[in-house]
Amino acid sequence: MGKFMKPGKVVLVLAGCYSGCKAIMVKNIDDGTSDRPYSHALVAGIDCYPRKLTAAMGKKKIAKRSKIKSFVKVYNHSHLMPTRYSVDIPLDKTVINKGVFRGPALKHKTQQEAKVEFEERYKTGKNKWFFQKLWF
Amino acid sequence: MLAAVKMKKSLELINSRFQLIVKSGQYMLGYKQTVNMIRQGKAKSVDLTNNCPALRKYEIKYNATLAKTGVHHHSGNNIELGTGWGKYYRVHTLAIIDPILISLIAYQSRLVKSKTSTVFLSFFFFFL
Repeated sequence: MGKFMKPGKVVLVLAGCYSGCKAIMVKNIDDGTSDRPYSHALVAGIDCYPRKLTAAMGKKKIAKRSKIKSFVKVYNHSHLMPTRYSVDIPLDKTVINKGVFRGPALKHKTQQEAKVEFEERYKTGKNKWFFQKLWF
Repeated sequence: MLAAVKMKKSLELINSRFQLIVKSGQYMLGYKQTVNMIRQGKAKSVDLTNNCPALRKYEIKYNATLAKTGVHHHSGNNIELGTGWGKYYRVHTLAIIDPILISLIAYQSRLVKSKTSTVFLSFFFFFL
């Protein structure tokens, strides 16, 4: 009745090397394109989650353990599991788009952009579920 | 025994109503297609059989709650669902895409419920 695959939705990646990782939908293409004739979505997700922090850790240690490694990828909808969560991080659409996969340098730049945004949001302490590793 | 008879009767009636939808073609049978329809927001109602595997049932229910689509738990198993839709194969899950027919089915099922309940009551009073 309602479309729920929207930008900002948190999805779990089910296939590929990032399976089990949480990601945010950046752009959703429902009907498919000529080179991808199925419904797919561009997602930006977390590859390496920030590690657990305790009160006894010093500043330098905390900074090291709060690092996030991100990824950007285009997935078929059937390889994503939507959740009820959504995260409204302002991911820059001009930087994170489908044209990014042309070259590794562009892709790396996009991943850096996503990483910076994620780390900023992690430090504020919001959207805790998104930054926790999914245990399975 | 009465409950079993009642259930069988309502199943037949529900199955006969499916003939309407089959003729109009506004449905999708099978797990992959129903999940696609739910994801795209096109499914107006989803049916699950009673022997649908628990994980699959849970996944469809979760997606349907996200899409605010109604899930109907069919009282038969996948063989009965397939037969009811006039197919020679088994069907665990199906999605109905046409909204008008959903309301028709809902209205008719409410009629059936009231009919069977009156039958039961009359039986009860007879034995009194």
